[in-house]
Amino acid sequence: MSAATAPVIRVDGVSRWFGSVVAVSEVSFDVSPGITGLLGPNGAGKTTLLRMMTGLAATSSGTVTVFGEPVRDNPALYRRLGVMSEHETVYGFMKGRDFVTEMARLRGVRDIEAAVDRAIARVDLAHAQHRPMDTYSRGMRQRMRLAATLVHEPEVLILDEPLNGADPAQRVHFTRLLQQLAAEGRTIVLSSHILEEVEQVADTVLLVVNGKLAASGGFRAIRAALNERPYHVRVMCDAPRRLAGAVLGLESVDAVHVDPDGAIVVLSRNVLALQIELPRLAQAAGISLRRVEPLDDSLESVFGYLVEQ
Amino acid sequence: MGAVYRLTLRQLTGKWRLIIMTVLAAMPVAIAFITLRSDSTPSVAEFETTVLSAMLAGSIAPLVVLAIAAAAFANEIEDRTLANLTLSPIPRWQIAVPKLLATITIAAPFIVASAFATSYIAFLGDITATVAVTVSALVGVALYSAAFVWLGLVSTQAIGIGLLYIVLWEGFFSGFVSGVRLLSIRHYAIAVMHGLDPRRFAGGDHLGLVAALVVCSLLFAAFLLSSVRRLRRMDVP
Amino acid sequence: MTSSATSSMTTMVPATTGVEFGTSTAQGGTVFDTGYQRYTGERQGRSRPRRAIYKDGVRTALGLGRGGRAKILPWFFISILSAIGLVMAIVAGAADRLGGPGTADSINLPTHSDYYGIASVVLFVFAAVVGPELLCPDRRNGVINLYLVRPLTGTDYIVPRWLAFFSVILAAAWAPQLILFLGLSAGDMEPLEYLQAHWLDVPRFLLAGAVMAAYATTIALLTASFTTRRAYASVFLVGLFLVTTPFTMGVSQEIGGTAGAWVSMFSLSNIPLHVNDIIFGEPSEITSEAPARALGWVTLLWWYVAWTVVPAGILWFRYRRMTP
Repeated sequence: MSAATAPVIRVDGVSRWFGSVVAVSEVSFDVSPGITGLLGPNGAGKTTLLRMMTGLAATSSGTVTVFGEPVRDNPALYRRLGVMSEHETVYGFMKGRDFVTEMARLRGVRDIEAAVDRAIARVDLAHAQHRPMDTYSRGMRQRMRLAATLVHEPEVLILDEPLNGADPAQRVHFTRLLQQLAAEGRTIVLSSHILEEVEQVADTVLLVVNGKLAASGGFRAIRAALNERPYHVRVMCDAPRRLAGAVLGLESVDAVHVDPDGAIVVLSRNVLALQIELPRLAQAAGISLRRVEPLDDSLESVFGYLVEQ
Repeated sequence: MGAVYRLTLRQLTGKWRLIIMTVLAAMPVAIAFITLRSDSTPSVAEFETTVLSAMLAGSIAPLVVLAIAAAAFANEIEDRTLANLTLSPIPRWQIAVPKLLATITIAAPFIVASAFATSYIAFLGDITATVAVTVSALVGVALYSAAFVWLGLVSTQAIGIGLLYIVLWEGFFSGFVSGVRLLSIRHYAIAVMHGLDPRRFAGGDHLGLVAALVVCSLLFAAFLLSSVRRLRRMDVP
Repeated sequence: MTSSATSSMTTMVPATTGVEFGTSTAQGGTVFDTGYQRYTGERQGRSRPRRAIYKDGVRTALGLGRGGRAKILPWFFISILSAIGLVMAIVAGAADRLGGPGTADSINLPTHSDYYGIASVVLFVFAAVVGPELLCPDRRNGVINLYLVRPLTGTDYIVPRWLAFFSVILAAAWAPQLILFLGLSAGDMEPLEYLQAHWLDVPRFLLAGAVMAAYATTIALLTASFTTRRAYASVFLVGLFLVTTPFTMGVSQEIGGTAGAWVSMFSLSNIPLHVNDIIFGEPSEITSEAPARALGWVTLLWWYVAWTVVPAGILWFRYRRMTP
């Protein structure tokens, strides 16, 4: 991913309002090949943003371009774009295979039978493809929809809450599938509430809060960028109060909590320094450290900080 | 386009729908039959007004077309399946045209067959009159389809508005205010009928045949183009 | 001595969120009181949800609390119905003023008994378009299950819904008649005399209104109970009212005699209008030519009752056995 390569999707100053309600406000970002996760609380504007990125909805201001071309009113682009919305959009009376076949036909796929076979095999639904879709479970319908989204081998995939209704096994399968697709060089944007999955799968994260882009990038980089927030480090040792007193003398420490269960939580803005100084301090004081762990080294905590603001 | 056409046909057909449409289409035929068997033969003008104009053109045809045409797009929007079509790399007119053609394909056979049978029986096999009624029925179906497909695309209250148009506008007002006739699809279809067989359907102030056909074509094109434009500019759910 | 660098992924334990994790023993579990607050207020009986369903039905029919678009159609219908009444009153008043007192009666202008005949089309289309809103979306979106898992039976659902729509149609049927009555008495040269002479009109049109409303409500809701798409129910209903009339009239006029009269009884829009005639004691303009009149008022009345009670029974039956 070099800086010289043009981004696949460029969102530039995009806003969308409905009457007096501003759903998305001045959002700009680029999306490159790989997996990008779009996160945000409910009502943050994720779905509106995704719909504008797919050309299904118009922007009130700003532009969205995919492969350098505007995405709105440009049907030819849909040959290279695959979209899965959060709503169930299947025709219940159809058999699964027929649905994927119809979508393949509509997308102008050449060798339809082979493409459909491939797509259905990817989502592991070959055994159910000849049944009507209203006999499927919700997770199965979701997977068949994904097959229909993949059948024309799009270079860009935009998925809105694709893990809705998926059980843990399906989630694992889906994650692996996404990584495989990304490894083939595709660009994938997915929105989700399920932070753990996005954490594992996404290279880049876009956090949308209240219609604005609150943060973008790898989530650890985002965390590091949140300067004003001290890191929480939990320390378990055999003399917590004594250690707490000693630790307060360190430059790198802002504050210390003592938990009733005997652990102490150290708040520090300079964890690198703390890493070096804490063991030295403990050794000098004759205290043995049993466990030292970071408490907010996760997407959820970053998410929490940003949403709180 | 074929894919959209076939898909729409599948969506619009259904056992009960077809049964109800057959029953409706059979009613004018039944009346014509019964009228013929009885002793008192009403005048052409009377027959035209009650059966052809009021019943067939005024209620049965537009209602049947409304039910089907509104389903063409309105159901898709309600079910959120329209995105399946709009996310395809095809120009928007290749979505609107097959939808419209599918609507006409389903509605026309019933209405046209009903018109043919009714007029054939009532006018004792007079080919000119039969052709006149049948062609005007086809014109009416085409126009209503274009109008109601567009309405289903544009408004979530399509059925209510369509029903008000049929019942109040065409049914009620056009009887009283002659200016309303210029904005009434039924009027143009009837004008075509008069134009094609002026001998039998004389009387009444209708547009000439050519003028009526021109207006019908223009209206049809206008509704179709508006549908295409709407597809390009709308937010697809 | 163990230490882990910040980059290691260890289990996330929120330090200060105040959640206590109970300890479990090998034998059994532990019950937590996680602060779930039980409802300690008054618990009302089943009448409360019934009233709620009624109120919700009225609000749905009138589009209240659902944005501007939902209000357009129902209020448009109500306006038209009221306008008809208003116009009738104005015309009568104008006739009296232009031609002298009593002109309105002598030239046989439409009055209360004629109002329902004239407005019936609008009333039926109103029922056709708005009625299905009360039943179809609930079944289509599965919301009916949310109702039925409460201490509510199918009967508890459908009866208040019926009453709600009946109330709305009743109001739509009565308001214009009241406007007409007030207009006629105010427009008359001697309002008080008019009131004295015509006060019987009031209970008559109130009763006739109820007759129309009950019929329209029942037929509309029964049709709506057969499909989940409002559109199909509405079109079918309008077709039913609109098409049966010319068809049966045409056929009955050809056949003639008693058979013809019975055929014309199937003109669905005329069924309540005949009862309207009975109440006012004179045929209105629409029904004066109807062949069905030959069958006598007892038959017409029972026909109406059959066409209201039987559909209501079918409607109730369809809903009473519904389970979530």
